[in-house]
Order: sequence, then structure tokens, then C-alpha cells
Amino acid sequence: MFYDLNVPYAQGDATLPRTLAFINELGYNVVALNHSIAGKLPAQISCAIPDPLPFKDLPPKLEIRRRVTLTLTESYQNARLAELARAYNILAVRPIDERTLQLACGSLDCDIISLDLTQRLPFYFKFKMLSEAVKSGKRLELCYSQGVLGDSSARRNLISNATQLIRASRGRGLIISSEAKAAVGCRGPWDAINLATIWGLAQDRGFEAMSKEARGVVVSAQLKRTGYRGVIDMVYGGEKPALSEIAGQGSAVKGKQQVPKRKADDGEAVEKPISKREAKRRKHEARMSGGTNPGTSNRDGPTQPAIAAPAESTTEETTDVQSAATPNSA
Amino acid sequence: MVRLKHRYLLVNILYPGPVATPRGKDQQTLPDTIQFHKPTSDSLTPQMLMRLIRDGVAELFGDYGVGVVAGSLQVKYFSAATSTAIVRVSRAHYRLVWAALTFATRLPHPLDEACVMQVVRVSGTIRKSEEEAVRRARMGIRKAQSAGTWMWDESTIGQGHGNVGSEGGSVGGAEAGARPGIEDIEDDRSESGDSGD
Repeated sequence: MFYDLNVPYAQGDATLPRTLAFINELGYNVVALNHSIAGKLPAQISCAIPDPLPFKDLPPKLEIRRRVTLTLTESYQNARLAELARAYNILAVRPIDERTLQLACGSLDCDIISLDLTQRLPFYFKFKMLSEAVKSGKRLELCYSQGVLGDSSARRNLISNATQLIRASRGRGLIISSEAKAAVGCRGPWDAINLATIWGLAQDRGFEAMSKEARGVVVSAQLKRTGYRGVIDMVYGGEKPALSEIAGQGSAVKGKQQVPKRKADDGEAVEKPISKREAKRRKHEARMSGGTNPGTSNRDGPTQPAIAAPAESTTEETTDVQSAATPNSA
Repeated sequence: MVRLKHRYLLVNILYPGPVATPRGKDQQTLPDTIQFHKPTSDSLTPQMLMRLIRDGVAELFGDYGVGVVAGSLQVKYFSAATSTAIVRVSRAHYRLVWAALTFATRLPHPLDEACVMQVVRVSGTIRKSEEEAVRRARMGIRKAQSAGTWMWDESTIGQGHGNVGSEGGSVGGAEAGARPGIEDIEDDRSESGDSGD
């Protein structure tokens, strides 16, 4: 399962179904459409990405999530952040300097910390700050598309920042995504992993970044929204059948008579394969009783009447043993 | 003599396609999977592909990159019809070539078409790459058959390196296209075919 958690969504974009079809073709399974907000939050917070999407040719097997990226330019309002988080499936923040990065890694409640890696960042990444974020469940995002499509300086900054980030985070807690505005900016999952490998991430960690960590983000974001204290989600399971339906059966047990839970309740014959010892015993008895049952009991699956039959044809000694046994067991 | 070991990269060239065409028109569009895997024009030669890779490595990794890679870089197989290539690189530096392919955004100069190069398989022998190419071609045919309605003579599969005829949604009636194993693909025929299943 490959995840691409950053596909920018613009309001009137007609190329989006094609981009999604291309991403599906490349091999991704789950995609998150990203709506970016910079600066002040609007007064009325609602999901800017319509549900269901207004396009008709979307690939059927592709799961689509909704994500918002808030650029932390000015002072945020914490309460409204929670409201924003509720409107979307995934909340990401984009810090622009060291102070906002510290806020994002520490006290802000978000799912993804995404940085614009094509800019020269005025600070260095510190392991302590990043691991604090990773421990609380946030993941750091590496976007490759701006560097692939962009000019030389964007590429250099991307490589420089990506290598620093990979070194500072020691390979853990990263996710890789495109930020592809057009289909031509998307790359296959293994191609992106190879890029990360060149930048210093071990290949298995790169694969995790694309699959396991990204899945973790999606799942934990969902749990934060629908779960409470160990309950994952509550699903409507249907109504209980009304009592009047089964009253006509005339049985005290509600509906159990209708659908027997186990096959044995039927009272019908139960087919059980006979053990080797039983088969041997039967063969012996058959021989003793003069071959009246020439081995048929071995071949056919025994039914309960058949099990009773050898008991009948046993010699008197065995029946004595049995009748002697029963009083003891009783 | 110590053996020089190589890696063989199986590369697919995908075309994400034109910018949005107005959907109101009456033109018949092929299903997307077929459009992405459309055949490359014949003017792209293996030498041009080599040059593209070498220039890419030079741009990303400089003279050092070109130096370590150029010795054993070779395009072993290239099919314009299926937009597939098998590139040989030395084992130690195959990632450089892979990155150069990833960073390529357009085909070289006379063509200048936006493309995406996807490395589909890396293997140590060329035979495995070939087998994978054939397998993918078959899968592509099957996917295309299920995506659009067209008739394809099953006996032509397996001729050569998986020739994929990518065009044609045939009308419901019998357009028995018993096409032989072809290298050049006919262009779009504007027929009313059902696209999308």
C-alpha cells in the first residue's frame, strides 16, 4: 500500500481527475487532497474539498482523504485549530521559522509537520525537537515534486534540506509525498524512495516512510477524530427484530429456533472423520462377526446410526464391559 | 578476471497527457490507462535516450557522476511502441542513473513532450528484466481490454517483446481486427467505443 498524502487541490481544477488517474496508475492506493490556508482562518470553517468530489471518472480503487495545510505565519488561534482539524481528515501545519517549528513540534496538535523544503531555511534541524514531535505521533513530510519540476536553486535547497532533515530525524518519523500540482510532477513510489535513498535514508526506512508511517498518519488522524479512550468507532448495526415476528413460533427462545447456531443443534447427523483407532476397532469387529460388514464402515463417512451398528454387533463381552462401565460413570 | 556486475533497469515512459481538453466535445477519448502508456514517437532513438540520461546525471551529479556511470551505461533494449527500455548500469552506481531518470521531465529536443519515467524493475540479469517487460505488456493488454471494448487477436500476444497495440475502441459489431504483431501503431480512429467500464 502506497500513500501519497499531498496532492494539492485547487477550486476549479479540471485536471484533477486525470492527475488522480495517473497517481493510481503509478501504484498509489491512498491519496489525500490538500487544501492550503495561509494566514488568518476564515470565519466559517468548513471543508473546502467537496464530498463527494464533483468529478465522474475517478479511479474506483483509489481512496481519497481530505487534508488541510495551515501555514503558520501569524499567531494562531488554538481553539479554531481544533475546529479546523475536525473539518478535515488530516491536519498539517507548515512552520516558516524556528519559533513556529518549535510550536509545531511541541504544543500544537497536528498530524503532519510539513516544511517548504525548496526555500533556504534559516535554521538547523535538531534531533530533540524532531523526536519530540515523532513521539507524540506527528510525522515530518518530505515533498519531492517541487524539486523535480522546479529550477536549479529549488532542487539544491530541496536536496540540502532533505539531507539535513533525514540526518536529524535519524530516518524515523518521516513520510514522503509529492506536492504535485500537475500529473507530470508525480513519480512512482519506488522512484521517490530511491531519491530519498540518495539523500541518506536507508531503503527499508524509505519504504516504511511511504507505506507504514503514512498509514500511521491516516489511521491515527482518524482515531483522534472518531475514537475515544480505546473505542475506535461506533457503527450503526441495525435494528433489533420486533418481538411480534417471532411470537408466532410459539417458542420461548427469541429467534434462536429459527437459525440454529451450530450444526449439532439440528439434530441431524454430524459427519466426523473416524480416528485410526476407531477404524481399526471396527475392522476387528467386522472380522470377528464373520465379515458381515465387509469393510464398508471404513470407507463411508460414518453417520450416527452407523456408529451405533458396530456397537450392536459386538460380542457379549464388550457389551458387558460397556454395561459395567456405565454404572460407574453414572 | 573479476566480474563486472551490472544492474538492468526496466523503464516505462508514461505520458500524463495534455492539459484539460474541454469535455463537452464529441471526441472519443480512450481510457486513461491506455493514454498513459501510449507509444513513443519513432524519432526517439536509443542514442537519444542515452544522451538524456547522461545529461541528467551530469546536471545532478556533475563530472563525477558522468565519470562513474559512463563506462557501463548502455541502452540494451528500447521499444518505441511499448515505451519501454532496459538500461544497463554498473551495480555500484545504478541509483545515480535511476535518479537522473526520475528527474527527467521532458523528452529530448525535437520531441519535447512531457513525460514521466518510471523504473519498474531493477534486476541483476537482463533476462529477468525481459521477462518482466513481457509480463507487463500482457497485463497492459488485459487491462486495456477490460477498460475499453475492443477485439484483439489473442494469438498475436507473445510475438517479439510484447507488442501492445494501444489504440482503437471498436464498435459493438464485429470489427475483427486480426492485427499481426505490429511495430507502428495506427493513429486514433474516431469511432464510437465505450470507454470506461
